[in-house]
Amino acid sequence: MLVMLVVAFFSWWYGAGWRQVAASFEARLHGVAEAFSVRQLLSTLFAPWRRIITYPGASLGERLRAWSDNVFSRTIGFVVRVFVLLAALLLTLVVALLTIIEIVLWPLAPLAIPCLIVAGLLA
Amino acid sequence: MSQLFDLRSRRAAEARFGRAIGSRGYRALLITGSILLAAAIVQGMTHGIRYTYLLLSPALLCYTVAVWWKRQLAVLPPSGQDLTGRLSVDVLARLKPDMTLQPQNLWLALHDHWQAFFITNHLLITREMAHAQLSTNEADLDQALQIATHLAERNGNATIELGFVIAGLLMTSPSMQQLLTQIKAQPSDIEVTADWLGRNLSDMHAVKRNFGGIGRDWAFGFTPLLNRFGQNISLAIAKHNAHFGWLVKSESVRSIETALSHKNAAVALVGPDGIGKTTSVYALAQRLIEGDTAQTLAYHQVISLNATDLASRARGPGDLKHIMVSLANEAAHAGHIILLFDNAQMFFGDGHGSFDASQILLSIVEARSVPMIFALSPQDFQRLKSRSTSLTAQLTPVVLQELPETDVMRVLEDTAVGLENRHHILVAYEALREAYRLSGRYEQDEAYPGKAIKLLEQAVNYAEQSVTAASVQRAVEQTYGVKASSAAPAEADALLHLEDAIHARMVNQTHAVKAVASALRRARAGVTNPRRPIGSFLFLGPTGVGKTELARSIAATYFGAESAMIRLDMSEYQRPDDVQRLLATGEHEAASLLMSVRNQPFSVVLLDEIEKAHPNILNLLLQLLDEGQLTDTSGRVASFKDCIIIATSNAGAQTIRERVGKGESLESFSSEFSDELINSGQFKPELLNRFDEMVLFRPLNADELAQVVHLLIAEVNKTLANQNISIELTPAAIQAIVSAGNDPRLGARPMRRVLQRAVEDTVAQKILRGEAKPGDHLLLDTPDLALAS
Repeated sequence: MLVMLVVAFFSWWYGAGWRQVAASFEARLHGVAEAFSVRQLLSTLFAPWRRIITYPGASLGERLRAWSDNVFSRTIGFVVRVFVLLAALLLTLVVALLTIIEIVLWPLAPLAIPCLIVAGLLA
Repeated sequence: MSQLFDLRSRRAAEARFGRAIGSRGYRALLITGSILLAAAIVQGMTHGIRYTYLLLSPALLCYTVAVWWKRQLAVLPPSGQDLTGRLSVDVLARLKPDMTLQPQNLWLALHDHWQAFFITNHLLITREMAHAQLSTNEADLDQALQIATHLAERNGNATIELGFVIAGLLMTSPSMQQLLTQIKAQPSDIEVTADWLGRNLSDMHAVKRNFGGIGRDWAFGFTPLLNRFGQNISLAIAKHNAHFGWLVKSESVRSIETALSHKNAAVALVGPDGIGKTTSVYALAQRLIEGDTAQTLAYHQVISLNATDLASRARGPGDLKHIMVSLANEAAHAGHIILLFDNAQMFFGDGHGSFDASQILLSIVEARSVPMIFALSPQDFQRLKSRSTSLTAQLTPVVLQELPETDVMRVLEDTAVGLENRHHILVAYEALREAYRLSGRYEQDEAYPGKAIKLLEQAVNYAEQSVTAASVQRAVEQTYGVKASSAAPAEADALLHLEDAIHARMVNQTHAVKAVASALRRARAGVTNPRRPIGSFLFLGPTGVGKTELARSIAATYFGAESAMIRLDMSEYQRPDDVQRLLATGEHEAASLLMSVRNQPFSVVLLDEIEKAHPNILNLLLQLLDEGQLTDTSGRVASFKDCIIIATSNAGAQTIRERVGKGESLESFSSEFSDELINSGQFKPELLNRFDEMVLFRPLNADELAQVVHLLIAEVNKTLANQNISIELTPAAIQAIVSAGNDPRLGARPMRRVLQRAVEDTVAQKILRGEAKPGDHLLLDTPDLALAS
C-alpha cells in the first residue's frame, strides 16, 4: 500500500503534476490579459477617453477648438491605456518568470528532501 | 464482481489516502510546513546552516504532499474508460479494498455523502427505506453501475459522480419502484433528480467567469443620469456573480441577441406574463457582460427603466419628457447601453402610474441611436399597434414561446435550489411536479414557467418540515379556494354518504341525486377528465320539483356554502349580441359570468331555463362543456374545470307530468323523452350529448309534499331556536298546508309562501301576544293556521 502510494506520488509529480504546472502558464497569462482588458485596450488604443468629446461648430475657431479637445481626449486615453498595458506587460513578465522558475524547480522538490537531510547531517 | 472495478488499484488507493488526509490534513500540512520553514530561517540566522537544512527537508515534504493532495488526491481526475478510472474520488474513497461489492454494501458506504442526501431527500425517501429496498445480490450491481455511467454521460460528466451511483442503485431495485408508487412518486423521478444533481455539479465546477477586466468601459461614455434613474442589470450581475444557467444559451436569448445585433435595433419582446421576458433579458445581460457574444455587443450593459419611478421623480410632464430625452442621449453617447423598458405598456399610457411617452420614444427609435428592448404582453403589443403603427413598424418583434414541460421543470429545479438556500428548507421534487400541474390547472392569466414559480414560492409558506406536494396543494386551496388535496378520511366519508346529506335538504328525486353524487365522487377521487368541468347536467322537469334546490344542495354540501353558486337566468340572454355580455371581461359589467367564475372557480354554475337562450349562447355552452373553459372578449381564459355545470329546463314538463301520472317510471321513458326533445327542435342533439347526464325530475306527490312541509318547518324551528321556541304541526295541519300549497303547474314552489303565511304569521302573533314564551313548544292544528286568508 505504502509503496503503491509512493509510486503514485512520483508518477503524478513527474507526469501529470508537472504537465499541470506547464499548462497553468498559459492560463495565468490569459488571466493577466483578461484582468487588464488587454484586448479591449489594444483595439481602442486611440479612442477618446470615456468618449469625452466636443462637437465642431460652424466657425473655423470652433472647429479648431473641437479638434484640439478631441485630440486631448484621445491623448489622455492613449496615455492611460499605454500605462495599463505596460503594467499588464510587466505583470505578465513576472508571472512568466515565476512560472518558469516553478517549472524548473518542480522536479527538484522531491529530490531536495533527502538531499537537504544529507546536507544537514554533513554540514 | 472484481471485474466491475478494482478497489486495490492505485487510483482507489489514492482516493482513500486523499480522504484520510482531508481538507483538515491539508491545512495542517501547510501550517506545519510554514512553521518548519520559519524555524529553518530563524535557525539559519542564529545557529548556522546545519539545522536549516534539517528543518527545510520536512517543510518541503509537507508542501509537496499538500500540493499533491490539492491538485490530485482531492479531485482525482478520470483516467481511462473503465469504471475504476471513471468513478469519482468520493465513491472510491469510501470503499474498502476487501468489501463485498453488492448494492446494499455500496449504499451503506455512500449514503452519508451530500449527493446521496440530495437524491433521497428530494424524493422524500429515508435512508432506512432505501436501504431496505436494495438487494444483497452481487449480480445486481452491474446494472446499477451501467445506469450510473449512462447518467454521467448524459450529464456530460467524465467522472461517475457518487449521486449517479446512488441513483443507479435505487433505479435497479424493483421494490424501490413499488415504494415510489406508494408514496405517489414516479419511477422516472430518480432519474430526473439525478439529472438535477448533474446540472448543479456542472454549475459548481464551472470555470470562474470574467467580466472584462479593469479597462472594460474606458472606451465608453459615463452614464450618471442612467445610473440615477435606471437599474444597471449587467453590473448587478457582475457584482453578485449571478448565474442564469442554461437560459444564457437558450433559444429565446439568442433570438433577442440576433435582433439586437442589427445596428441599434429596437426590439419588442412579446410574451404573456410569466413566460420569462425579464429573465430572458437578465440572461442576455449576463451573456453580454461576459463578452460571450458578437463583437458589436460585447460588454454592452442593460439598463432597465421603470415608468412609475420616472414619473414619480419628474416635476411635471415637461420635466419627464426632458428626462426621457436626456436618458436616451446619454445612452446613445455612452455607446454600450441597451435600454430595457420592462412593462413597456406603462410608457404608452396603459395602467396605473403610467405616462404616454410614445411620441418621444418614436423619435428615439427612429433615430436608431441606442438599442432598446420593450417588454410587452401580446395584448399590450396589439394595443400599441392600433395606437401607433409608426412606432411598432420600427420595432423588431421577438415573440417568446412557452417553454416545454421539461424546460419548465428545469427552471423549477433552479428555483427550488434558490428557495432552499434562502429559506433553509428542503423542496421535494414532488412539489415541483405538483406546482407545474396545479398552476397549469388553476392559473389562466399567466404563462409557464412564471405561474409555476409563483405557486412554488407560495408553497414555502405552507411547508411543515419541507415543501411537498401537500404544501403546494394547500397554497392552491388558499389562493384559489379550490380543493386540490386528496380527500381526508372525514371528507371521504361525507362523499360516500353524499346522497344522505342532500336528502336531508330535499325530498325524493333519488335518481337525480344519485347521478349528481356519483359525479362529485368521481371528480374528488380524481378519475374524471381534468380538462372538462367536474360534472355537467341537464335537469329537466316541471317547475317546483327541486331542480334549483338540488343545485343549491350541491353548492352547500360539496362546495361548502350555498353562496358557491353562480346563477344565470338564461331568459335574459335571448338576443344574438347577448354573447358579448356573457363573455364580458367584467371590468365594466356588474354581472359577468367569466368574472364570477374567475372569482369563484370552485362552484355550481346554474343556467336556469336554458331552452330560452339564443342559439349562439348554446353554441358557447358546447365549447364550455367540451373544453372546460371560455375566453373573454379581451382574450383571457376563464376555467370552468372546477365547476359543476347545471342547466335547467321546463321543456317537456307536460309530458313528464302525464307519463308519471300514468304510473310510468322516469327511467322507462327517459330515452324516448330525449328523442322527443330533439325531434321537437327544443334541443340540438350535440348539446344534449355534451352533458354528462340528462336528469329527469318527476312531479312530487302528496306524501312528498308533506315531507317538503316537514323540511320547511325544520327551517322555521332553526330560526326560532334563537328564542328557544319550537313548533310542531298536527298531521291535519300538514295536509291542509299541502292542499293549499299544491299547484300542479308550480309544484312545491307555492309551499314556502303558504307556510310563511299560515305558520310564521301565526307564530309571530302568538309571540307578540305573549302566548308563546321562551321554552314553549307549540303544537299547531288546522284552526290555528291562518289559511283562509
